[in-house]
Amino acid sequence: MFSLSYAWNELHRRLGRTLVTAIGLAAGVGLVMGIIGVSQGLSDAQTKALSPLGSVGTDIIVTRTVAPTLSTATTTTTTFGGGFGGGGTTGGFGGGTTSGGSGFFRGRGNSALNSSDSTALDAANSSIITDLAKLGPAGTKFTHDFFVPGTLITFPSKAVSDVAKVKGVTSAVGALSLDALHESGTVPKITASVKTGGQTISATVKPPVLTASQQATERSCIQSVIEKRFGSGGTTGTGGTTPTGGSGPPGGGTTVPAGGFRFIGSSSAINKCLTPAQKAYQQNVVVPEQTVNEVLNPPTTNTKTSTYTVGGVSPSNSSAGLVTKAQLVKGTWLSTNPTTAATQVLVTTAYATQEGLKVNQTLTINSVKYKIVGLVNPTLTGDVSDIYFSLANLQKLSTNDSRVNEVLVSVANAKDVNSVAKAIKNELPGATVLTSKSLADQVTGSLSNARKLANDLGGALAVVVLLAAFLIAGLLTLSSVSKRVREIGSLRAIGWSRGRVVRQIMAETLGIGILGGLAGIAIGVVICLIIGAVGPGLSVTSTGLAVGASNVSGLLHQATSASVATTVHLTAPIRPFTIVIAFVGALLGGLIAGAAGGWRASRMSPASALRDLG
Amino acid sequence: MTETSTLEGSGPAAGSALYELNAVTRTFSKGSVAVNALRGIDLQINRGELLVLEGPSGSGKSTLLQLLGALDTPTSGQIRFAGRSLENETDQVLTEIRSKEIGFVFQQFNLIPTLSADDNVAIAMVPRESSREKRSARAQELLTQVGLGHRFGHLPSRLSGGEQQRVAIARALANRPEVIIADEPTGNLDSDNAKEFMILLRDLHERSGVTIIIATHDEDIAATTQRRIRLRDGSILSDVKN
Repeated sequence: MFSLSYAWNELHRRLGRTLVTAIGLAAGVGLVMGIIGVSQGLSDAQTKALSPLGSVGTDIIVTRTVAPTLSTATTTTTTFGGGFGGGGTTGGFGGGTTSGGSGFFRGRGNSALNSSDSTALDAANSSIITDLAKLGPAGTKFTHDFFVPGTLITFPSKAVSDVAKVKGVTSAVGALSLDALHESGTVPKITASVKTGGQTISATVKPPVLTASQQATERSCIQSVIEKRFGSGGTTGTGGTTPTGGSGPPGGGTTVPAGGFRFIGSSSAINKCLTPAQKAYQQNVVVPEQTVNEVLNPPTTNTKTSTYTVGGVSPSNSSAGLVTKAQLVKGTWLSTNPTTAATQVLVTTAYATQEGLKVNQTLTINSVKYKIVGLVNPTLTGDVSDIYFSLANLQKLSTNDSRVNEVLVSVANAKDVNSVAKAIKNELPGATVLTSKSLADQVTGSLSNARKLANDLGGALAVVVLLAAFLIAGLLTLSSVSKRVREIGSLRAIGWSRGRVVRQIMAETLGIGILGGLAGIAIGVVICLIIGAVGPGLSVTSTGLAVGASNVSGLLHQATSASVATTVHLTAPIRPFTIVIAFVGALLGGLIAGAAGGWRASRMSPASALRDLG
Repeated sequence: MTETSTLEGSGPAAGSALYELNAVTRTFSKGSVAVNALRGIDLQINRGELLVLEGPSGSGKSTLLQLLGALDTPTSGQIRFAGRSLENETDQVLTEIRSKEIGFVFQQFNLIPTLSADDNVAIAMVPRESSREKRSARAQELLTQVGLGHRFGHLPSRLSGGEQQRVAIARALANRPEVIIADEPTGNLDSDNAKEFMILLRDLHERSGVTIIIATHDEDIAATTQRRIRLRDGSILSDVKN
């Protein structure tokens, strides 16, 4: 039994010392709270980064990627860079990969797999190469979204049911994760000017031969013209020439009387004597064949390209998939009615912020209006899409009917993850099987360094800080008690036992502990809030889940590898447990101080009450 | 019974032996040097006596007072107090005896500075009386007896020296002790307050018959006391009964 009011009064009287001791404990405890907070913050961040699959109810992800050694994809991508390289290669989607059913993954050697994979990927990605003319007549404004699978090859959704059959698998959900290219602009007018004509073409033509009567008529006609001009007597010579003229042309005839008939050629009267065939004749001339070569410049367009990523999730399964209902931040989940779901999309908060999108707003993609029904905040590292469609709808949009490129698998027992992953790998050779563990092994960056540091140094620092606080509190109490020799001696003299005196001092230091604990919690909360407010970003580089189309987007747009290197903002969460630890720590400090003071007090002789009088 | 009831001692009839000291020595070792504070004290003090211990510094006066007050044990010899031997008792037993049988009044009053007058009296009863109300009631009763009925809630710092020493008397009486040991009780009081204090003490002695042992330098006090014991160099120089 001790006197509470006595303890309180003592603390009050030595307020300065009480406060110093309490603040010492508070600083220690507050720092420990900060250290625990940071440690937990790092732990949280790591858990978030290391178990990206867990957040979507998934233990294993099955994908099919092209072996990175193959560079064929580059060829394809170069074509993308040009945007409109030429004629469309259509029908690429299923064609290359339809080789078959559940055997899709099977029966291929590694090299064969890779080459056929890359061919399939080439084909799938080449759908983007578009004949602009198909978009409409020149001048038409167009926007079009192209969906390409990036590095992930699609496969028939039968693989999903195959995986579901593997022993230990609770559920397997198919998903599509695609890259989308959004292009908008005007269909260009493709014109070419070809210059023709200006060539000289020469051909030799013979007029038709005159009949005897025509000749006679013509001759007499000409005769009469001549007689009219010059009289009949002087022209004996002409008579002689006539027989020789024979079947010669009229022109020839007129040139014979040289000198004497100079006027005849210019006389229109003679022209009238010619037969109609001589006056005008028709002849077909065939121009020799020739080829005109003209280089056409590709049309310049105002086409703008932007990319985003899309994912397909099953509206009926909201607990497993690329994004889950648990990650819904605002709005509602996709409708379970397939028809309604076909006009609905979910948008990630980041993309919504970037694009200024809101719930209930409408997004038009390839002339179809989609309603944004909800905002989601997915955590699947490296595989976060911007827009989520219903799976069926995305399959239709990207002409990937009944095809998926990811299988999200959840396993009944966490211990079985590795063995199930192995079994899936056996079932689907060539598939890339990722587990949280394998992802975690690939996580590097400042976060894991910081986590290591927090583990190694944080614990030691917390212990050192607490011990220092305890030491300070103990020493201050010791010195405080030492100054109370007469008081304690008097108490002992008037009949207080050692134990009672020690308990009294303990009560006082416990009071200090409580005060220090409360102040320490306040300090700790402030420290944690400050860390949360100015806390540095920690990068997590995860090479494991470079799924989605991030590789292709990177090549296309020189995008940073943000989807693989995630930055986690460091926070220092305050858990009830931390507060309890802090308070208990402060009380412990008070008790330790009390023990020190009590030990000192118990060594005081009651006689000192008298001896001190001097 | 009259108002004296609260002041009255608890022991048997006056005149029986309260203290019996036989060849008591007390040696302190200061480093390698042994200081013989008391060199064989033989002394008997009866119940109801009021006596004065005199002697200069270093005479062993304080040491003897500590032994009588069960604050210390002798190096050799025997001390019997109220029928029991103190020389070999443990701290626990001595504490019990102090609490139950001995009241102290100190030169510098030794009140707890953070406690009010009545709490300072009540705190002496803490080991013996678990009821806070009873402690408080008796404390106020005792303070009234010593003329401080109007000062219950006052902190020592707001009381005069004489008032503080009266609070100390009330505290000394709290557990109805056999003996009150006062060490230079007037040493820090002016002469008026010293006189008043002695009047109070004598009045208390007369009314309750409690044994009172006073260590003092004050000749006025010594001269008017029934028994004077003079100490010098750790021995009793004289033991005079008036």
